[in-house]
Amino acid sequence: MTIYSFHDIMDRARSGPYITEEDWDLQQVAMTTRKLVKKYKLTWNPAEIVTDDPGLADAVFEAGLELAQKIGAYSRTTERIIEFEPAELEEGLRRMPQTLVMGEGKDTRTLYARQIMDERLPLIWAGTPGTPTPEALFLPSVMSWMQEPIVDLVTCGSLAEIDGREVRTADPLEIMATRRELQYMHEGLRRVGRPGMGMLAAQSAVSELGDLAVAHPGYLRPCDSHLVPMLNELKVDHRNLARVVNSLEYGMPNASLVCVIVGGMGGDAPGSAVVNVASFILGNLTSLADYQLLHPIHMRHVATTTRSTLWVENIVQQAFARNAPCIIVTDVYPKSGALTREVLYETAANAIVITVGGGHLEGVGAADGNLPNSTGLETRFMGEVGHAVVRQGLTLEEANGLVLKLLEKYEHVFDQSGGNPGVRFDRAYDMKTLTPRPEWQQLYDEVKAEVRQMGLAAL
Amino acid sequence: MPTEQEHLEMIKAVIIDGEEEEAPQVVKAALDEGVGPLTILNNGLIAGAGVAGQRFESGEFFLPELMFTGRALKAAMAVVTPVLQSQHTAQAENAQNTGVVVMATVQTDIHDIGKNMVSSMLTATGFEVIDLGVDVPIKTIIAKAKEANANIIGCSALLTTSMPYIRDLIDLLDVMGERQRFKIMVGGASVTPDWTAQVGADGTAANPIGAVNLAKRLIREQTEQQGAAAK
Repeated sequence: MTIYSFHDIMDRARSGPYITEEDWDLQQVAMTTRKLVKKYKLTWNPAEIVTDDPGLADAVFEAGLELAQKIGAYSRTTERIIEFEPAELEEGLRRMPQTLVMGEGKDTRTLYARQIMDERLPLIWAGTPGTPTPEALFLPSVMSWMQEPIVDLVTCGSLAEIDGREVRTADPLEIMATRRELQYMHEGLRRVGRPGMGMLAAQSAVSELGDLAVAHPGYLRPCDSHLVPMLNELKVDHRNLARVVNSLEYGMPNASLVCVIVGGMGGDAPGSAVVNVASFILGNLTSLADYQLLHPIHMRHVATTTRSTLWVENIVQQAFARNAPCIIVTDVYPKSGALTREVLYETAANAIVITVGGGHLEGVGAADGNLPNSTGLETRFMGEVGHAVVRQGLTLEEANGLVLKLLEKYEHVFDQSGGNPGVRFDRAYDMKTLTPRPEWQQLYDEVKAEVRQMGLAAL
Repeated sequence: MPTEQEHLEMIKAVIIDGEEEEAPQVVKAALDEGVGPLTILNNGLIAGAGVAGQRFESGEFFLPELMFTGRALKAAMAVVTPVLQSQHTAQAENAQNTGVVVMATVQTDIHDIGKNMVSSMLTATGFEVIDLGVDVPIKTIIAKAKEANANIIGCSALLTTSMPYIRDLIDLLDVMGERQRFKIMVGGASVTPDWTAQVGADGTAANPIGAVNLAKRLIREQTEQQGAAAK
């Protein structure tokens, strides 16, 4: 049977085998993953972040497919397992879109399934999905990255308060916040002269309420998209399935967001990569996704820039590029924030790993995406590094060497109490001109020159 | 026949390895051969859980290992607790649970990894944990805490837009006149010490070990406050 209909997902969520959530986590996800890591002899080397080992990438893919086949997905709402036949999963993989047109008019961009060391430029998707942002900073901060010429697509944080009032999840104010967010996004795009730019938005829609409230061309257009998270690990619920059906009926692309916890149920990096592969394979069907969002989270440090999270991003991208090409947009969420040297090193390392491995670039969610400490400047840098990697034709081995050098420059931030959050947007940018303050510009110039010296000459 | 030390090493090993089925058996074998229940508790079960916690902190263990340890400990406690209680000694009294903690991820939030880690570590260190799960209405959390006569309410929220519900819970306890009855610890990726103080909670911690230390401190404070009030 082929999954063509949303009804299939709902039917299975209602009728599949019952299991408690704790047994799902431990017996199904953790134990099965552990066995598969042993069976496929999966290991990782912290000194080899960007691997040049096709056999390893294939083994990670095979293990992830086997995990998806063996256990399926879990509905948290019904406490049932959503099972799939192997042929259904494989058919789902074959049907994954290879291109996706986003935006409209002169600002149209086409996402595509990238290959390892692809000679085509990655698309640059600017913004900080999920970052709680004060209303007063929202418009200027999104404009700071919308205005960057290197940016192709745009996203944003969420409004944590509107009209001076705290926004609560699933509260009536969530509807207002999500609509307000989209109004600001359109206003920002209009002001920078790029009204047709494609968006990943409705980030203030923490529940399905906000999503439902903006399924209208005046807010989210059919040429935009929103994300549907797969919950940790390999779980869905009716609230998120409501988001899926909302956009299917409306005619807007779904992005399947997978945030595997590295060090969580999958164990160390190899197991986490296996869970991530399975999540993409299953999320592709449960979300009927048009593209995949890759965002591993480190158990302790959160950031995507730790060795193990970078390794997971690298190997998952390579696994799909070799075995089931699809559109993967990969997140850059450094530990550090604006006006720190480290945020630029972290951004560079992350952008290199993603670009060379077969992903498009999304970010920069500085300061773990937890604080409004992101600006357009590090986003520009992310794009410049990604483009330089392609222009220079960086090999996997060269990429690894560069990433190791960059890690030496920033890895100390993970041991700093309180992280390295940097400063708020309005302390790094001039709020009138929306340009970086001189000290931030100077840091950027210095680090850019340094990274060029390290070996990314095309930067 | 194994020596007492060998029994304790076996108990520690099954707790560290998270052997849920084997744990009650090795505890029962030790009890049958005369090893004291309090010795089993302190030098076997809690010692083993402590090792698992340290390995988790050092990165040698991951979340599943910690959760399996919690399960094994719970199974072993089911064997040793009745024996301790039947002895009615001062020592047994000392070995009672350190306190009762009601844990929940507050309404509208379904993130539970941090909460599960803290629940496992609290269980592993002798607390009685009533974990209500995720997306729990604040009224339910309060009702369960009252019903269980809990010492501590532990609230978690990862989403910034769910955090205000923790503030609502504390405000609700206040207006109900029940705030002093419970200590409140809070956690979540965006929860900071400043925010904790701002909403009137009693503390937060950066990791599961810190949460255990915080819970112990809060219990001590509560006991002192109750003692002072009794005078």
